[in-house]
Amino acid sequence: MPSESSSLSRVRAAVVLLAAGSGSRVGQETNKVFLPLAGRRVFTWSLQWARQLPTVTRLVLVIAERDRTLAESILAREAHGADVSLVRGGATRHASEWNALQSLADEIRRGDLDIVVIHDAARPLASTAVFADVIDKAQAYGGALPVRPQSALVPLDASAAPLSHDVVAVQTPQAFRAQPLLDAYDQADKAGFVGTDTASCIERFTDLEIYCVASSAANIKITFPEDLFLAEHLLAQAHWDLTNEPGEPE
Amino acid sequence: MTVEHAEFLCSACGHTAEHDLRYAGRLLESTRCHNCGHVVEMQPKALLPAYLHDLEQRVTSKPGRMLQRVNDDRAGFLWSLPKAMARQPIKLVRELWTVIWR
Repeated sequence: MPSESSSLSRVRAAVVLLAAGSGSRVGQETNKVFLPLAGRRVFTWSLQWARQLPTVTRLVLVIAERDRTLAESILAREAHGADVSLVRGGATRHASEWNALQSLADEIRRGDLDIVVIHDAARPLASTAVFADVIDKAQAYGGALPVRPQSALVPLDASAAPLSHDVVAVQTPQAFRAQPLLDAYDQADKAGFVGTDTASCIERFTDLEIYCVASSAANIKITFPEDLFLAEHLLAQAHWDLTNEPGEPE
Repeated sequence: MTVEHAEFLCSACGHTAEHDLRYAGRLLESTRCHNCGHVVEMQPKALLPAYLHDLEQRVTSKPGRMLQRVNDDRAGFLWSLPKAMARQPIKLVRELWTVIWR
């Protein structure tokens, strides 16, 4: 957790949880972020960790329209007392982020929000400390990303140049100063630019410095079914409480 | 035993396909890929201790969760209480049966 001298206490941050999925589902399939995971649905674990921070003053959940009723019933059951705004997702991650930012635009322009944190709802193990860390660094530098070193990567093509030892895997939550982020997405909309993640849009349209925060290997993204078993196990090991889990590996 | 269906990337066939996910209580017990039939399951010897650890947490957190429900919706809580009290033992026996005898 940040030190007491941190500027975090004065910061007001919105956490945007991306839960709209790919949009390719058919039939009775459930969006994986709505699946049960150790007594909660996958996406409400992230809400649980993020809302522990007094700096988090707004929560936005981006969903596919067909999941609205399900999302509302889960929030009523698992996010007691949390005021979570539901925003309709777009066809791409970028479009979903843009919809969420537009829903926050008035507050950002009024100066009621300093930081916007974008988080993938399929990462239920991003601890409170990781959220605190990226918000703190985004306030200080402009933007912050949790990263993990990937030193074991090698190119498949033997003739290709060896990969730098400084290669990292980028995770979420990603935090940015609110006004430059809104401006960047506004410019991207006008230019027809579609970024792969929040940082790519920031890099393209702003001069903000982005700080890399060392993150934990436990901040997994639920991609393979095996990841659900792992997430379940990691939560049980932490006694179902990541409020005081360190953001960085020990 | 509850079953959910969701799309995942299969580690065996490499396709993004629908998977069946079977739960024993709150714990994921097995998954099966609809494309290639690949099954991932928790070993019985690992499932029982994991289930008991999970059950302990469920029991110890139950008073807090019940209190939360009372605060949220007192009438709804009281209305559903008799049914829930009758259902819980049956649910628990079914879960144990699944965990021990699967």
